[in-house]
Amino acid sequence: MTDKLVHLTIDNIPVSVPPDTLVVDAAKQAGINIPVFCYHPKLHPVGMCRMCLVEIGRPLLDRASGEFVRDADGAPKLQFSPKLETACTTPVTEGMVVITNSQKVADARREVLEFILTSHPLDCPICDKGGECPLQNLTMEHGPGQSRFLFDEKMHLDKHVPLGELIYLDRERCIQCGRCVRFQNEVADDPVIAFSQRGRALEIITQSTPGFDSIFSGNTTDICPVGALTTADFRFAARPWELKAAASICQHCAVGCNIVFNVRREALQGGRMVIKRVMPRQNEQVNEIWICDKGRFAYHYVESPQRLTQPMIRKDGALIEAEWDEALDLVAKKLTAYGASLVTLAGGRLSNEDLFNLYSLTHTQGGQAVLYSYMAGGDLTAQVGIPPQTDLGKLGAGCVILVIACDLHEEAPLWWLRIKAAAQRGASLIVLNPRTTRLDRYARHVIRYEYGAELAALSAFQPQSRGDLPEPVRSAVKTFQEAENVIILYGSEGLGLQESKALAHACAGLLIKTYHIGRSNNGLVAAWHNANLQGAWDMGFSPINNLAETLSKAGVTYVVATDPAGDDPQLAEALQHSGFLVVQDILMTETVKMADVFLPAQAYMERGGSYTSGERRLQRFYPAVPPPGNTLPDFAITARISQRLGRTAEEQSPARILLQIAATNPAYAEMDYQLLAQVHEQQPLMGRHDLYYGGTTYENRQGLGAHLSTAASRVEPLNIPDAPPPPVFPVQEGLLTVVPTTRLYDRGSLLIHSNLLHQRLAHPTLTMHPKTAEAYQLSRGQTAVMLLEKTPYRVEIDLDEDLPHGIALLPRSVGIPLNAPQAVKLRPES
Amino acid sequence: MKKLAELYEDEIQVILAKYPDEQKRSAVMPLLYLAQRASGRISQEAMQEIAEILDIAITDVASIVGFYSLFHEEPGGRYRIQVCTDLPCALRGADAFLRQLCDLLGVEVGETTADGLFTIEEVKCLAACHRAPVFQVQNGDGLEYHENQTIDTARLVIDELRLRAQKPPGGAA
Repeated sequence: MTDKLVHLTIDNIPVSVPPDTLVVDAAKQAGINIPVFCYHPKLHPVGMCRMCLVEIGRPLLDRASGEFVRDADGAPKLQFSPKLETACTTPVTEGMVVITNSQKVADARREVLEFILTSHPLDCPICDKGGECPLQNLTMEHGPGQSRFLFDEKMHLDKHVPLGELIYLDRERCIQCGRCVRFQNEVADDPVIAFSQRGRALEIITQSTPGFDSIFSGNTTDICPVGALTTADFRFAARPWELKAAASICQHCAVGCNIVFNVRREALQGGRMVIKRVMPRQNEQVNEIWICDKGRFAYHYVESPQRLTQPMIRKDGALIEAEWDEALDLVAKKLTAYGASLVTLAGGRLSNEDLFNLYSLTHTQGGQAVLYSYMAGGDLTAQVGIPPQTDLGKLGAGCVILVIACDLHEEAPLWWLRIKAAAQRGASLIVLNPRTTRLDRYARHVIRYEYGAELAALSAFQPQSRGDLPEPVRSAVKTFQEAENVIILYGSEGLGLQESKALAHACAGLLIKTYHIGRSNNGLVAAWHNANLQGAWDMGFSPINNLAETLSKAGVTYVVATDPAGDDPQLAEALQHSGFLVVQDILMTETVKMADVFLPAQAYMERGGSYTSGERRLQRFYPAVPPPGNTLPDFAITARISQRLGRTAEEQSPARILLQIAATNPAYAEMDYQLLAQVHEQQPLMGRHDLYYGGTTYENRQGLGAHLSTAASRVEPLNIPDAPPPPVFPVQEGLLTVVPTTRLYDRGSLLIHSNLLHQRLAHPTLTMHPKTAEAYQLSRGQTAVMLLEKTPYRVEIDLDEDLPHGIALLPRSVGIPLNAPQAVKLRPES
Repeated sequence: MKKLAELYEDEIQVILAKYPDEQKRSAVMPLLYLAQRASGRISQEAMQEIAEILDIAITDVASIVGFYSLFHEEPGGRYRIQVCTDLPCALRGADAFLRQLCDLLGVEVGETTADGLFTIEEVKCLAACHRAPVFQVQNGDGLEYHENQTIDTARLVIDELRLRAQKPPGGAA
């Protein structure tokens, strides 16, 4: 920033801020609180609530000379506006004098509050916001002790209006600041709530189906300055002052949003500590102050009655509860007997520490460490990913963000928000996808390719690419070539593991060829489908093509934090054929039902650990609630097995495991838990006195994490594998090619336990173009039978004219094991 | 009920042609007039259809319908008789006039006559304080003013409206 600073004084304190700063923000930087309701530092100001009125004087300018008019002392002569001005809509100017502590201002605040409270029910004792309510706090600080309006004449309005099944509106508490409406318009771009009527009748409405149809809806309850908007989850659930805050990281996608679990002891639960709600925790480099509704509402699995808390051993065909020693001894005995024929299959929600111990065990046994994932390229992101000092929140002009094969809004909601914002700041967004997604609206260039043609689409961007490209590819390529910085983000739209591997390789190759590696704001990012898939790759795990075959040949199979049998009958069959099956999980699953030994693990909020996000930011989560029953952290279970095999392994402290990781992986070289726990002041200020300013998002006191270096940023030689064979897109006469897409609210093994989100979960719906449906004599709403690997699956047909002809889309993780494009037989259900 | 696109295909094209493609949301007001002309009110279905035509959220359309007092979501009579009873009008006898009008039609404020022709509404400020009692008649998207009214002059207006209602819609004025 070369812009000159603007100098002004606020309550006689000199302040210097960049031009265009609003008076309210300038005051905040000087430590002066100007109360606001409608203003929010992440939204455009509107000046609706009048709470921020201040006195503003400006130096008189002599029109002829353009100089300040000065009095006898040489001080600039000030001209005060006859009325108070709104600090939230007034930008600073040179020489401005702002007074916020005069009687005039105090009177104005008192009167505005008295006015706002005329329609407010003052039901703080039963209001969920009570205790963390800006209206309550500011009334105590600035409001009149008494009102001249009659309490009995207050307007009474509906107090329980469901704006959907997730968010409730209390109409009489609403002070019509419009923060929620503006958030949905400006930030989330889901204009599904709005004002209706006017004057005293003004009210918030929603007309969408389902109500308040936005995956970001929960954030409106954080920025609502009163108790008008509350979540169905936290409504009447607890008082804010009873809650303790445990810092954590969201585990539902690769973004790694910083969150807080609010917990309290509860008599209803036998005095146990329980999670009452999930709140965002500020990290301006990751999620700013927002989280999506999946992250907010999907934690309920932790209290599911299907939690397993005791080790079990199969005896006479049935799983019987056992003691840890007995179970672990048996596992160790089998491992000793079968040696190298161990296959460890790990899920992407495990922490780095768990995965490190698992990998060590598997590796020293000579076994195979397999990642349960349909995406590849973690080895490449570790080398040419985005290095430290990259901040999606600061990308702007000069940057190209190329998003390929990704429905970002569904795959990584917060990245969607941040990349949309980057595009609005001037970054050039290039979207390559086979169908319309919500990112298109912000893209400078949108390129459609046919499903299966992602490599060809990307090849146009190669430096030696010919000049005879058709539009819009030609302009997109030109933008790409002129860019100073390039970030490529790939997802899993229509891809299987082989396709993902080939695409990641092509993206990495393109970045290397165009020298967009090793520098901040350049590199490759994968929109992983689990929180710690990147970490799993970094710890040595990778997915394999022939998973079923590998499992069926294993002597001992060790399945951790994943449910292959529940996902895919083929994998269930493979596990039948595999030798001894050890399953380690937190919930009852189909795979657990097949286990020879079951080992009960702790959910991640019951212990500490670290996750590596898709941006390769290493972040730490802390224990929030005590573990139930006889469970152990995953890393400890694995360590105890290793110890029984005569090896040393850390079972007590995840911090010490991270030190071991740091000693073996150069990207993690300087990482330790103290570093991850470091914070620095972030703007805008959250928490503290400032609940009225930023909302109830938590201030980050427990650590911002650290961005990992890449091989390119460390200037190490790259080790890029040979190009994998290009996958063949399955097309067969008489069969319909079905491609998998990723949905935020899928039927994953954790999400399925959150009753709150049930209505929004994806269904096994096959979506296709009307003409394609016609060819199969299918119509909307009809049930059809799809034959996948000889297994019939019932699917409902939906139509979408925007889709290409001849293919159909099926969401992943809805009970049908479609993990790659496949040609299937389809017929109407008879 | 017929869709707007079927009833007013040409009109919709003419309206949309007035706005650049990326600003077509600006056509929301004229399309709402059309919807109200079609059925005297704006139904959920009409709002949904307008939202789809303009590629905006139905909540945005509903918000605009809610803001303007001359857009009606609730069904009413073919003619909505709107009487102003604000203070200056009341001083000139608007309250009494409204009472007489209700008696004449045999309905209370907010109700519709049995023949479905008239709904009486009480409104704020019709900008004719000095010629009160005043009422306006809203018929679909059209408005006519009647100032300096007595119950006798109002009766003439109502008789005239009854006659008009018998003529086929769209007939010669």
